[in-house]
Amino acid sequence: MGLADSIKKVCHKLGTNNKPTYVVMAIATVKGIARPTFTMMDKTENPETKKYTALREGLTEVIAIPAYWACGELSAKAAKKLFENKNAKEVINPALKKAQTNFMFVGVCTAALFVIPAVCSIVIKPIMDKLGLKTPEKKKQMQQKLDAISQVAPQPVVKPEVKPANNNYYVNTYMARPQMGLRVGGL
Amino acid sequence: MIGIVRNLASNSTLANLAQNTSASVSIETTLKSIGRPGFILIDKDIDPDTKQYAAAKEFLYQATCLAIYLAAIVPIFKHGGFKLAKEKLFKNTNGFEHFKDVNHYLHYRKLAENSVANRQATLQKELADKTKVSELYDKTLLDELKKETPEKFADVKGAIEFSNLIGSVLGLAIIAPQLSHAFIHPALKFLGLENKDKKEINQAKQTVDKMIKEHHKLEEKQKNIDIKA
Repeated sequence: MGLADSIKKVCHKLGTNNKPTYVVMAIATVKGIARPTFTMMDKTENPETKKYTALREGLTEVIAIPAYWACGELSAKAAKKLFENKNAKEVINPALKKAQTNFMFVGVCTAALFVIPAVCSIVIKPIMDKLGLKTPEKKKQMQQKLDAISQVAPQPVVKPEVKPANNNYYVNTYMARPQMGLRVGGL
Repeated sequence: MIGIVRNLASNSTLANLAQNTSASVSIETTLKSIGRPGFILIDKDIDPDTKQYAAAKEFLYQATCLAIYLAAIVPIFKHGGFKLAKEKLFKNTNGFEHFKDVNHYLHYRKLAENSVANRQATLQKELADKTKVSELYDKTLLDELKKETPEKFADVKGAIEFSNLIGSVLGLAIIAPQLSHAFIHPALKFLGLENKDKKEINQAKQTVDKMIKEHHKLEEKQKNIDIKA
């Protein structure tokens, strides 16, 4: 079977039943490859930030793909349950197909709006911490502050040494034993 | 009650939108452009300046993606994909021979999806204008439209959806994010939301000023101690 035949088959399948999950999953897959690649290709950013951002983007899409699929399919199953009626199967079937599509679409929208951001906020941070990657924003903020301080301050500020109030001048002159001359018995 | 829920759940208009790639992607992007900034603004753990900045950035990103998608990607891929499928892939067979372009097919499909009564009423109106009918429907299509369930030409629909899918993937995953980045930063600067660096430098300057003042105070104290000694 050639490429043309495969495309024809895909066209027929999409023409018969174009599930709302197909397009979002396809977009998420390509985003998962393209976005980290573009980030890593950026020459203006420092390597650690690039690594962090690329991994975060990749992980987001890795979470998004199963989330879209699961939300879509679960919603379609919910529609099936709503329309389940063994006595009047023939009457309800056309409506069931439409309801399944509608529920799947609502499920995909829910995944995009709520499920994916929620799962990402729970899952990504621990993974990044485990990999030893810190948020580049925090690092950047710290660096900016340090840069600003080094630009503004002419000299490093050194806390002046405060002498003891009782002026004990004998502290550094005390000797336990003579340091010069003959010492007997290795003492 | 269940009957009402069932009727709402099996709504034909929504089902048609959900089966249409470009429409469903547009609806999702619109929801994201409203919902995501909304959630950022609701979050109480983020400071107000950051919230405003992040929400505006997210909104502008989604809005520019949607605008680019609707203005350029959809028309190019929808029309281009149909033409390519008609001429190269299916070579004017599998239903493509009845339609001139995408809009022609979509007009027929819309009519075919109507209930028989609605379809006949529309057809009667169109039949009054004979030139329009002869332009729109050949004999096969007219015969199909008279049937209870007309042929919807799945291959034609599939070719349109497939080209839309490729367009959506290329547009939303590769082209639109790159173009939107070029637009977002000037827009955020115009809105006065991208001066965070200056704010941070000012804060750092204030910290340094405080440190220098403390240093001077300590020096004065030291002098006083020396004088007393």
